[in-house]
Amino acid sequence: MNATQTETKSQTKTALETPWNVVVHNDPVNLMSYVTLVFRRVFGFSKEKAEEHMLEVHHKGRSIVWSGGRERAELYVQQLHAYLLLATMERAA
Amino acid sequence: MKIERDASGGFVFSEVEPPLVELFMAISAAADPEGSRAAQERLFPEPTEQKEESLRAEWDEFVRPELREAFENAAVMVEGDLEAMASGGEELTIPRDHVDAWLSTLNQARLALAARYEVSEADLNRAAAYPPRDERDMAVSQIHVYGLLQECLLQGLEAE
Repeated sequence: MNATQTETKSQTKTALETPWNVVVHNDPVNLMSYVTLVFRRVFGFSKEKAEEHMLEVHHKGRSIVWSGGRERAELYVQQLHAYLLLATMERAA
Repeated sequence: MKIERDASGGFVFSEVEPPLVELFMAISAAADPEGSRAAQERLFPEPTEQKEESLRAEWDEFVRPELREAFENAAVMVEGDLEAMASGGEELTIPRDHVDAWLSTLNQARLALAARYEVSEADLNRAAAYPPRDERDMAVSQIHVYGLLQECLLQGLEAE
């Protein structure tokens, strides 16, 4: 394997391994109790943890609710969109 | 309006006042984002804020059509319950297994109305104008009423 191939392989591996964050953004219309319910259903959070994230969204404008592989992150964002939450995924810094 | 649970866990709203009946009957029309780019963008948001073109393309091709179908199916279920109310008078019954469809459709309606009429958080924190002076005032009232209905359902679920 030459140097270029090694570098490309290494970049691909890094891209695949880079964790992704699932971020929920504030939305003044969604009810706080609804957002809490969605977090409990989608991520299986306890009521306390779900409320903690909901309040972070409310006060700070966003909350990272999950980090991990890309495929699972996509699934979570899709589920959050199905519940009409403003959610995005981003490569973790 | 009175709210009770029936034996199978359904929600029964009785003695619904005529103005509320009118707002309830408008739920699925309000949930339809057609004709408003802002409403469409809110109901079907981007999956990322980063430059991930393949992810956006995947969303367009696979995810958005699925979401659209799910939202439409929920709205059809809600319409069925509302038709039953229309034929039965001032009583609305939401069967337990329709509650998720109601939560979804009420949310679609609230979000689509807020996007369509550019309703802000400050607008929502002010008392709604009564009687409504225009379509936007009416939209704000709808958002509040649908929110109350959602809250009733959520409290019911929480108590289970």
